[in-house]
Amino acid sequence: MADPAVVSGSLNSRSGGSKAVAGPAENYVLARRRTLQVVVSSLLTENGYESAEKAAVESLTEMMQSYITEIGRCAKAYCEHTARITPTLPDVVVTLIEMGFNVDTLPVYAKRSQRMVITAPPITNAPVVAKALSTGQKRSHPSHIPSYFPEFPDPHTYIKTPTFREPVSEYQVVREKAASQRRDVERALTRFMAKTGETQSLFKDDLTTFPLIAPRPSTIPYLSALLPSELELQALEETDSSEQDDQTDSENNPNNIVSDDPGADKENSVLPSGGVVPTVKSSEENVIDNPYLRPVKKPKVRRKK
Amino acid sequence: PPPSTAGFGCVDRRDMNRKKDKGFESPRKSVIGYVELTIFPTVVNLNRIKLNSKQCRIYRVRVNDLEAPFIYNDPTLEVCHHESKQRNLNYFSSAYTAAVTAVDPDAGNGELCIKVPSELWKQGDEMKVLKVYIEFSLDQPKGGLHFVVPNVEGSMAERGAHIFSFGNQNSTRFWFPCVDSYSELCTWKLEFTVDASMVAVSCGDLLETVYTHDMRKKTFHYMLPIPTAAPNISLAVGPFEILVDPYMHEVTHFCLPQLLPLLKHSMSFLHEIFEFYEEILTCRYPYACFKTVFVDEAYMQVSAYASMSIFSTNLLHSAMIIDQTPLTRRCLAQALAQQFFGCFISRMSWADEWVLKGISGYIYGLYLKKTFGVNEYRHWIKEELDKIVEYELKMGGVLLHPTFCGVKEKDNPTPHLHFSIKHPHTLSWEYYKMFQCKAHLVMRLIENRISMEFMLQVFNKLLSLASTASSQKYQSHMWSQMLVSTSSFLKSISNVSGKDIGPLIKQWVDQSAVVKFYGSFAFNRKRNVLELEIRQDYTSSGTQKYVGPIKVTVQELDGSFNHTLQIEENSLKHDIPCHSKSRRNKKKKIPLMNGEEVDMDLSAMDADSPLLWIRIDPDMSILRKVEFEQADFMWQYQLRYERDVVAQVEAISALERYPTPASRLALTDILEQEQCFYRVRIQACFCLAKIANAMVSTWTGPPAMKSLFTRMFCCKTCPNIVKTNNFINFQSYFLQKTMPVAMALLRDVQNLCPKEVLNFILDLIKYNDNRKNKFSDNYYRAELIDALTNSLTPAISISNEVRTVDNLNADVRLILEEITRFLNMEKLLPSYRNTITVSCLRAVRMLQKNGHIPSDPGLFKSYAEYGHFVDVRVAALEAVVDYTRVDRSSEDLQWLLDMVHNDPTHYIRHKILSMLCKNPPFTKAEAADSSLCNEALVDQLWKLMNSGTSQDWRLRCDAVNLYYTLFGLMRPSCLPLPELGLVLNLKEKKAVLNPTIKPESGSFYGARDTNPLTLFQYPTQDEEDIDMDTVHDSQAFIYHQLNMLERPSTPGESPAHPVLLPMPAMPLPMFSKESSGSSKHGEHQHHHHHHEHKKKKKKHKHKHKHKHKHESKDKEKERDARGFSNSPASGHSLRSPSLSD
Repeated sequence: MADPAVVSGSLNSRSGGSKAVAGPAENYVLARRRTLQVVVSSLLTENGYESAEKAAVESLTEMMQSYITEIGRCAKAYCEHTARITPTLPDVVVTLIEMGFNVDTLPVYAKRSQRMVITAPPITNAPVVAKALSTGQKRSHPSHIPSYFPEFPDPHTYIKTPTFREPVSEYQVVREKAASQRRDVERALTRFMAKTGETQSLFKDDLTTFPLIAPRPSTIPYLSALLPSELELQALEETDSSEQDDQTDSENNPNNIVSDDPGADKENSVLPSGGVVPTVKSSEENVIDNPYLRPVKKPKVRRKK
Repeated sequence: PPPSTAGFGCVDRRDMNRKKDKGFESPRKSVIGYVELTIFPTVVNLNRIKLNSKQCRIYRVRVNDLEAPFIYNDPTLEVCHHESKQRNLNYFSSAYTAAVTAVDPDAGNGELCIKVPSELWKQGDEMKVLKVYIEFSLDQPKGGLHFVVPNVEGSMAERGAHIFSFGNQNSTRFWFPCVDSYSELCTWKLEFTVDASMVAVSCGDLLETVYTHDMRKKTFHYMLPIPTAAPNISLAVGPFEILVDPYMHEVTHFCLPQLLPLLKHSMSFLHEIFEFYEEILTCRYPYACFKTVFVDEAYMQVSAYASMSIFSTNLLHSAMIIDQTPLTRRCLAQALAQQFFGCFISRMSWADEWVLKGISGYIYGLYLKKTFGVNEYRHWIKEELDKIVEYELKMGGVLLHPTFCGVKEKDNPTPHLHFSIKHPHTLSWEYYKMFQCKAHLVMRLIENRISMEFMLQVFNKLLSLASTASSQKYQSHMWSQMLVSTSSFLKSISNVSGKDIGPLIKQWVDQSAVVKFYGSFAFNRKRNVLELEIRQDYTSSGTQKYVGPIKVTVQELDGSFNHTLQIEENSLKHDIPCHSKSRRNKKKKIPLMNGEEVDMDLSAMDADSPLLWIRIDPDMSILRKVEFEQADFMWQYQLRYERDVVAQVEAISALERYPTPASRLALTDILEQEQCFYRVRIQACFCLAKIANAMVSTWTGPPAMKSLFTRMFCCKTCPNIVKTNNFINFQSYFLQKTMPVAMALLRDVQNLCPKEVLNFILDLIKYNDNRKNKFSDNYYRAELIDALTNSLTPAISISNEVRTVDNLNADVRLILEEITRFLNMEKLLPSYRNTITVSCLRAVRMLQKNGHIPSDPGLFKSYAEYGHFVDVRVAALEAVVDYTRVDRSSEDLQWLLDMVHNDPTHYIRHKILSMLCKNPPFTKAEAADSSLCNEALVDQLWKLMNSGTSQDWRLRCDAVNLYYTLFGLMRPSCLPLPELGLVLNLKEKKAVLNPTIKPESGSFYGARDTNPLTLFQYPTQDEEDIDMDTVHDSQAFIYHQLNMLERPSTPGESPAHPVLLPMPAMPLPMFSKESSGSSKHGEHQHHHHHHEHKKKKKKHKHKHKHKHKHESKDKEKERDARGFSNSPASGHSLRSPSLSD
């Protein structure tokens, strides 16, 4: 079985697709592949072929690669089965036997006379395994664990690790930034609103420098004037009353304001709509005898329906 | 109980049924209903019943199931008749007083006169009960009931449409016929049929709610078993959300849809107020239930009625709002105090109003003391005292208990006023507010005299007598116990306390005006005596002489000592022996009045004198103004060490006159001192700003208060940035709000606001961050805008240069940018009560006024439109009023007056007129050279007060006030000479007479009644003195009698009042049906005026010859003439063609 990563890597590189594959790793894989092709070609020559189609060589290379990979995988499995981390010769032998290979023939084959010597593959840097986010110090083994056991994983994967972000800078800058960001957003928003709607101006000759959104009479003016806006309600939920005068999250700020597009319907949805609450209340506290909560009586003289 | 009304005994029970029909698309705004009164005659020969009724259309009246004829005449609709060219206010005031008297229920008068059918006359001897049944309707009422119908899609309930009753004093007659007097008690059964989606809230207990047969309407049945006067009856109907008080289930709160969360929060402490009042009065709340209703477009913030109160919906607030919370609590406390005194206990007559207002105001004060603390209470008392003193010194005295020995003008107890104080409906609103203020202050004086314990015992006695009486039947004649009068109140006081408070009452209640003291002192070192001199000014207007004890507190080195001096006729100087020698005992602490001992730095004081400070009347036990002279260091010691907030406040106001480094230090220390009362610290801010401006050339260091503010409210690491808001400590919140406002008043040598200060305020705005705050910062931001406004100074203008953006001052540009942004943001994120818009509008007006931007009322007019929040409208209107004055714009004045005519909100109409009075477009002195002052304006205003405001007593008095402010008492100077006016008058009379009398009366009545009959004949002058015994002309006879009834009942005048009159036999027991339509009514009123003219012509001539000597006499005559003309009996107008049959 081919290592999917390798295959896809090679295919991708040929089609010139993704640049996401890291350069050194790709080189390493290509070098290996080329060596394998050389090996396949020399074996073919050894067996008396003069030429081969490229596709055939590719297929054979693929088979070879699969075979070797399988040996490696299997040998590793045997080694790990016995709680070790490095495969030893017997592991490989057992593997070969398992795969139906007569091990005894191997020394003879290795020492055959007509074999071709091929140059060692060029030394390329082994691919650097991209380190997962490494934070904090890895712990060393305690004394009762032998050193050949695997290392502990990164501490953040199994114990709490505080994440520090370097404060952008000191308090003043944060406040400064928050303030100017908010101001910019407010100004942009109000200017936008002013441009899209009717405006008034304080100057007769200049209508754009200080555009004022024209007031629009509302049918029920007291609602917007008395009810807290959604933003305020939201802020109230988040607030804990303790003084927090240190860290301000400057990035939240514009979002907060932009996301708040006050519409009457939104406000309505936050507040219990009329009439619901009293009935709920009355059912909760049906002990209360208040004449306004009593059901309305039917007229005394009833008509036949 | 002697029934005060002439015509009938008492009304026992009224059944009312009001049905409201509302269309969905076009609301009809109409009410139909009936009233049923049960009358127990207390006099034999009861043949006429007079009721109050305004603007109601009355369909039929039945007495004991018999159709009864009636006459409807309302002289207050048009006070002076239009052909009169009289334009002086004296004339109007007396005419108006006469008109109000002519329908005054306390004098046995009323607009509606019902003739008891002759079939029932005989029963009079048996004193049989009469049941009067009146069917009426109200169509688009202009007063009494207010309809709020938002113009949106949806059903009435979805639109939040609602109705409520309102009025100034006794105004119930606007919405149903009744005896509209506080002294006529009766029990009530009330029924209201309303749309099924609505709730009708009214007085008394809700017995049941029943659907109508079609199930589309509900009828609410109320029963009020406690005898209650008609003016204390109210009604509110709307799609209210209902909240049963969680602490007191018999209390129910109502608010408009969507506001329930606010209602819950705002009402969460009401039970505490209940508990407090019940505890101090040792009396249970008198009614079985209590209802609070919050309505939009309220007439007043608070109006109290029997077992319910109607509030402005704008009092509701959420938990995030700081500033509104105490205000709302105060309003609730006021309303509840009035439940006990005002609703449950009513008054005998208008002259006794002060007792009710005084007691309710006084117990409200006790609540303030308990809830907000002694400092707040004393500060409030001081404020109220300053207010009344200022008002009385400016406008003349406020008389609590007016007694009217006669109806003659010269007996007028308040000649300095341009209105009569004889009726609540003729009073200026400002005067009435001051009246209430004085009433509760006088109650406090009584408390000082007899102790609080006795005071509360008196209240308890009044209440327990009343509640005993309230459970009795009418026939037991106990109900008068529920009416308080000045004499019964004073009697209770003397019974309970055994003390004679006669002098006190005489000084403050029976007499108007306040006392003005000037004090100064010298220290006589040899005798170790303080020589105190207290002088009085009792000659200027609004002042009176005080004789009696006065307390003086002297703080010496060895302690604080009280002295009671006797102010007598001639003694000005008082010697007060000092306790301490002037020696300095450096180590020794100085004992204060409250027992505290403090270290003081005594280096500032005079080495020869042991006096630290002196206070005159520290307990405010005289209604007085004290101007006391002591050295600046004494004021400074007083500010720093005297623990009484009133003393501190006085010291701060005095220190304004001493701009020295020492004053600066004292004020700064107070500002920093956290134990100090926050209002004192706030006042210190403004004083410090004034001092800094006075010291501008020698001032050292950063601008006043800047470093202090930085220390208190800015970040430690970066002092230019304010901390994120945290208003958990209210004292520092108020200080944080105020300091920038005060700082902005600072000026540098060029008289500009220092750049440093302006930038500081701009930074405060920039860095303001409320995200971590649990309270709203809307008031804080609004005050920062106010601070920007305060920083503005007049622009340097080069002759008539047009203001453009390009030549805008750089600082002003920054300010303008902030204002623009705030004003625009408010459209997207409105603040509570739109405080920010309000401040922005003020700022824009200031920018205009100072010449930075072109002066233009357009912006304000758009914000003043109906449909904006009321606070915004008022702020915008204030700007328009100011513009009108500064730019003398007649167009805008006209615009304002049109709004007074047409605006749907009564409060706005009232507010426009009162703002115009405060900031008038011109004054009497300027009238001559103001282009605004012209005949058209005079006529318009005259019309406004004469007939345009007849549906709202308060508005009419506002119009009178404005007329007074603009033109004074005499004929406006812009009018043609009076002689000419008279000629015109005569000419016009001829021109007017003919078309008015014949065709209109004929067509109107002729068309209405096919077979009308009237009893009245047009009387001639001679018939006025008709002799009862000899008269045979029954019609003239009746006229005469009615005329008698119309007159105010004075003790000597009406010995046989009413008299049984043999009514002429009539073919039909029906009067011509009177229409209540005001316009029609007004017309036929004109007719009976032409005979008056003959009289007037003579009088005018006479008057001008002997202007001064005979003026009062003339007036009296005039009044008689008016009484005559106003009387419904001047019924020649009723004469119809068919009379000749």
